[in-house]
Amino acid sequence: MRIAWRFLTSSPVQSSLIVAGIAVGIATQIFVGSIIFSLQDSLLVTAIGSAPHITIRAIKESDPVRYTPEMRKILTTDPRIRQGTVAPVRSVPALYGNGKDSASLGLLGGNLKDLEGIYKISANTIAGHASLGSGEIMLGKDFADKFGIKAGDTIALKFQDNRTGSLTVAGIFDLGAAQFNLRNAFVGGDVPRNVLGWSGDEYTQIQLQLDQPYDSIKIANQWAQQLPGISIMEWQRQNRSLLAGLVSQAVSSYMIQGFVLIAVALGIASTLAIAAVQKTRQIGILKAMGLSDREAGLIFLWSAAILGVAGSLGGVVASFALLALFTLAPTPFTITIRPSFVAVSAAIGIVVALLSSIIPIRRTSRLDPIEVIQNG
Amino acid sequence: MAELGDRQLVEACELDKIYGEGEAATHALCGVSFDLCKSEFAAVVGQSGSGKSTLLNLLGLLDTPTKGTIRYHEGDASTFTTGKRAGVRNSLIGFVFQSHYLLPEFNVFENVAMPAYIGRSMSDEDIRPRVEQTLAMLGLEGLGHRNAERLSGGQKQRVAIARALINRPALVLADEPTGNLDTVNTNLVYDLFREINKQTGTAFLIVTHDRSIAERTDRVLEISDGRLVLDVRTSDIVGTLA
Repeated sequence: MRIAWRFLTSSPVQSSLIVAGIAVGIATQIFVGSIIFSLQDSLLVTAIGSAPHITIRAIKESDPVRYTPEMRKILTTDPRIRQGTVAPVRSVPALYGNGKDSASLGLLGGNLKDLEGIYKISANTIAGHASLGSGEIMLGKDFADKFGIKAGDTIALKFQDNRTGSLTVAGIFDLGAAQFNLRNAFVGGDVPRNVLGWSGDEYTQIQLQLDQPYDSIKIANQWAQQLPGISIMEWQRQNRSLLAGLVSQAVSSYMIQGFVLIAVALGIASTLAIAAVQKTRQIGILKAMGLSDREAGLIFLWSAAILGVAGSLGGVVASFALLALFTLAPTPFTITIRPSFVAVSAAIGIVVALLSSIIPIRRTSRLDPIEVIQNG
Repeated sequence: MAELGDRQLVEACELDKIYGEGEAATHALCGVSFDLCKSEFAAVVGQSGSGKSTLLNLLGLLDTPTKGTIRYHEGDASTFTTGKRAGVRNSLIGFVFQSHYLLPEFNVFENVAMPAYIGRSMSDEDIRPRVEQTLAMLGLEGLGHRNAERLSGGQKQRVAIARALINRPALVLADEPTGNLDTVNTNLVYDLFREINKQTGTAFLIVTHDRSIAERTDRVLEISDGRLVLDVRTSDIVGTLA
């Protein structure tokens, strides 16, 4: 290592350039990767952050699903379910009318506490307050805006079989999805239960969220075997185009990162190969003094390791600086840095540097000291 | 094959070295046999291209003979792995070449210490006094921190000699060690070799084309067209070498 260090410091410009090359590569990888990941997270939160990841319902849509003790046990003990996000929901269609206009509205009925886990109603309440007490309703922002409804107003709704009812708008929510805000409203569980005439353990659907949303297919398939006779839907099947977009984005990101790494690897390999040629005389002399082939090769392995570590650390610092600069400008999403991604990127930089030393290692290992001695 | 005697250091037996193949083959050495004893101070003389350096490279395990054997107490060199050859070179043999071959990336101290670093037989704490002692023996005290490139030609060659001696080798192989030096420095280097030989018992085999220098050793081996044509005590031939 002492020899490797001295060889590197004897050519400071060359060594600095190669460290800079690795740093730029790793910085690009972390910067691009972090932006893409953050964008994906943001899109995912927007799309399913306030929506169920898995919905359990009866096979026939108009039938109720029974929230049996068996199902309750499965759903409350599965560690993959995000804590506090299991919400038994009764939903009924309703027709809103104000004398001039009318619009259909899907009522989602349940306990506020249960619905909070998925829809974060309190956090997303922009007017009035979050409450689903008897005779109360919470309307979406877009619906309220469209019909000029404010918190505290009373609205009339018509249900199936021409039954009617009046509910007080406790609050107005904004879940960040205009279509949901326009077409859905939250009510207490009793309103749809009375309309549907179902018993206490009968619901339209059981909604829940997962800690790892991308596990939804696997989990849904498992539950389908454990809970026969019911329909289990998960978000990925319902959002294929969104997923395709996310996957395409990820693939393009990986390709960019891959090409950057290849460029870095070629840069290191060529520079180390040149260094090996430059140091042929020294290596030959060292071998004449008793340096073994393996030890001669190790000089360039250490060189690559030093360059890789220095370049990767430089790249991490540079990427943080770039991301900090990026956040100075207003962005529609929050940039989050994943420590594991940064660590893996830095490790990749070091591994690429080590792999790039294979050519000079082979060259120096094979160098016969007699060639140097005879050629002066 | 009989083992080397206690006084013997190395034995060369029927050494052939052929470079190239077929019609382009060149016989650099042909049937060279001799042995060298511990503490001997000998010279190899001969015309340019006669095979002197080839012989030295074979004895120094830098090259392998086409035929014949070289034996040290460590065994027959033809049976050594590349790793063992490197190890024997490091611990048993010191090299001094016509060119000093100092490493420009390192200072004088580090250049001298390099074989010890490579051998790893001494700790850094033990290497330091050994290097300082060796530098002092060669009149280079106080120059350890200097960049090797900034020394005079004579000083560089003395640093190279110090480097060859740092591991206390049993044998120093010197290939035209004064070829690039003026008369004053040439005499200084040979006086040093002789002094070290007497003080430490290190054997020297010095390749030279300068017969006046060869006459200052104890034994002369003459190579001509790859063959050993003369192997005598210098006292028997002083003044007769052409």
